[in-house]
Amino acid sequence: MRYFIKKSITLIMTLFLVSAAAFLAFQIIPGDVVTSILGTEATPEREEQLREELGFNDPPAVRYFNWIADILRGDLGVSYRYSKNMNEMMPVSELIGDKLPVTLWLAALSLVLITAVSVPLGVLWARSKSHFLDALLGVTTQAAMAVPAFFLGILVTYIFGIVLKFFAPGGYVSYKEDFRGFLGYLMFPALSVAIPKIAMTARFLRNSLLTEMNADYVRTAYGKGCTGRRVVYGHVLRNAMIPVITFLGMIVAEIVAGSIVIEQVFGLPGIGRLLISSVSTRDLPVVEILILYITFVVIFVYFLIDILYRAIDPRISEK
Amino acid sequence: MIRIEDLSVAFDGPEVVKNVSLEIRDGEILGVVGESGCGKSVTALTLMGLVAESARVTSGRIYFDDTLLLEAGRPRDKALYRRFQGDEMSMVFQEPMTSLNPTQRAGKQVDEVLRLHTRLDAAERRKKVLETFEAVGLKDAETVYASYPHQLSGGMRQRVMIAMAVILHPRLLVADEPTTALDVTVQNQIVSLLQKINRQQNNAMLFITHDLNLARRLCQRIAVMKDGCVVEQGETEQIFRHPEQDYTRRLLEAVPSRMKRRKSPYVPAEEQALSDPVVQVRDLSVYYQDGGNSLFGKKRRHCVVKDVNFEIYPGESLGLVGESGCGKTTLSRAVLGINRDIEGQVLHSTLRPQMIFQDPYSSLNPARTVGWQLQEPLRAQGATAVGGAMTRADMEAAACDMLRRVGMDERYFYRRPAQLSGGQRQRVSIAQALITHPGFIIADEPVSALDVTIQAQIMELMQRLRREMKLSFLFISHDINVVYQMCDRIMVMKEGRIIETGETEEIFDSPKEEYTKELLASARNNVQ
Repeated sequence: MRYFIKKSITLIMTLFLVSAAAFLAFQIIPGDVVTSILGTEATPEREEQLREELGFNDPPAVRYFNWIADILRGDLGVSYRYSKNMNEMMPVSELIGDKLPVTLWLAALSLVLITAVSVPLGVLWARSKSHFLDALLGVTTQAAMAVPAFFLGILVTYIFGIVLKFFAPGGYVSYKEDFRGFLGYLMFPALSVAIPKIAMTARFLRNSLLTEMNADYVRTAYGKGCTGRRVVYGHVLRNAMIPVITFLGMIVAEIVAGSIVIEQVFGLPGIGRLLISSVSTRDLPVVEILILYITFVVIFVYFLIDILYRAIDPRISEK
Repeated sequence: MIRIEDLSVAFDGPEVVKNVSLEIRDGEILGVVGESGCGKSVTALTLMGLVAESARVTSGRIYFDDTLLLEAGRPRDKALYRRFQGDEMSMVFQEPMTSLNPTQRAGKQVDEVLRLHTRLDAAERRKKVLETFEAVGLKDAETVYASYPHQLSGGMRQRVMIAMAVILHPRLLVADEPTTALDVTVQNQIVSLLQKINRQQNNAMLFITHDLNLARRLCQRIAVMKDGCVVEQGETEQIFRHPEQDYTRRLLEAVPSRMKRRKSPYVPAEEQALSDPVVQVRDLSVYYQDGGNSLFGKKRRHCVVKDVNFEIYPGESLGLVGESGCGKTTLSRAVLGINRDIEGQVLHSTLRPQMIFQDPYSSLNPARTVGWQLQEPLRAQGATAVGGAMTRADMEAAACDMLRRVGMDERYFYRRPAQLSGGQRQRVSIAQALITHPGFIIADEPVSALDVTIQAQIMELMQRLRREMKLSFLFISHDINVVYQMCDRIMVMKEGRIIETGETEEIFDSPKEEYTKELLASARNNVQ
């Protein structure tokens, strides 16, 4: 319990630090939001009015605290760029609320693919005594790791979309309308995200398994009369997973924060695309919230990993 | 019962076991002694079918009763072996911490043997495991059953290992240095336990050790191995009383024991009293912090060493003995100035005390040459020296000179640690410690990682250097016989306190504290 409280306080403090840094950074970065919203043709009166509306005339410290206070109340501010209709500005929360499920589902699907494929593959690889399989897996995983994400995306689109016609490239159905269709569209981007990570994880797991196979307790297990299979699944795998868990955590943090390139290639309206468009249009409220979101996700995932660690390795919780 | 005939085993390269023939009879304890790398472990592992896959059996056969377990030229029959492993023959290893799976509860690991070889149901298995735990002297069997290895002490872990090995009453128990990683007092308990099991269950035992005293105490017959060959084999007393081979004789002579005359260059007390002490330690308490990893966690300060007082005079060697975890190393680090969280005073009359470490394999930088490492203390000294740094040529000359003093020569100057043997590495460590002429050296278990014959050479070397360079030692060891050979005075440490100090002879002949008596008794047990 103490542990959870400690971790939560650390999380909150980190978020504050990052929020301050993000806010400060956008004060320093040159470029006037007002001109970028209204264009160069606007009258000085209109500009002044907007400045007042957006609270730009207050000192930065006041604005920062107002911003934080608003966030804590659940008001994430409004986008400068998007609008709901002619009269209403688009709240950031709604904007992100639309995109978040896409990214999260993509991440979840990729993660399932990664673990479901890489763990058996890693075990198979470590246990294989065939030099051919060893070499084959070595080359394939190396290639899969080296291919740039966008190229893989294009390749997947071409093969599964254009040649095999499993999905219509560039298409997308909202999960609210047709959930199965939505998953169908996500399947291939998820595959593109997963392939390099599968290769990395399988490699990593294989090395970890091979190292672990040299441990003394493996000899003990054989000495009891265990079969090779039993040694791997009953003893070695769990210990070998410990470093792999960290690695998977880093991957999860990365894809939950938004697979920018893949979303772009497949035309998915997710967080990654939103981030690119709002950075390039100086949609500061959106960017700042996204920075906080990514920070939160990364820390939170590491927190989960930490808990998982404790479940796997009994030695950690007592240190 | 077991017949090993003409066994040779090779990894990639020369044979590490050469034409070894051994027989183990029912109920007998056969000791295999020899120095590290002599092939005794490989022989045992080959017998057990546990040797690495890369090993090739180049000649010979192994029989268990009339079953041919292994024959040169045929692949290892794993299915056949599995029937025997754990059931008819089992093994206890040296390091109980790493030999148990760290992420599985102790009970479950022992239980696995039953699951593999019997058809008992879960409740019966559990009952049997608990019974076996009690039989091997684990008092709170239920708690041990549910504990992970790291929650148990070294002795308890080894008992779990033994429970795992004997639960099915195998006819052969192979024990590979089962007490080497344990404290003296615990060592004795484990040896007694193995003896008891041998008597009760009347199983044969192959006992592998580098410790001749221990082998003498435990085994009916002994085989001495050297460079992969059995050089001598026979009844234990026969071998100890009338060794036939030169090597056996040398091995026996190298064993430090009280039976031998002490060679320590003794500085008379009157002469010592005239000079000022090299090191004075006043009311020293050393603390150690815990939980400093988090922003908010309260740091807990443990007191590891409490109110320690001693002084060391020029030319004197002061021994520090005690079990692992009693604070020996912490104290030495505080005296050296590495541990800063202390109360009390440490006064040095020398500028730079140096330290010799236990493990010459990990305490030398593998990436640098011997010569470079020898000069390192000089470079460090140069950075603060008043008269400016030594020139490069001077430093190299000093390093070569030091190499000669420790019995090596310039050829080793450009070698790296991996190219040296354990004894040579320890010589380099000593040279490194002495190159600045520190006058005072802390030696933390400097010979316990070494083989007996090497151990004797290194002790000899340290005594010689002590005379030549007028060194004072703080000599830390858990091996009371080594301390007897090396030290003029002895301090006994227990749970962070010095409980007894005195002249070596005085401590050995009339120990005052109960704990000291216990320590000495366990050491003597090994001698008789």
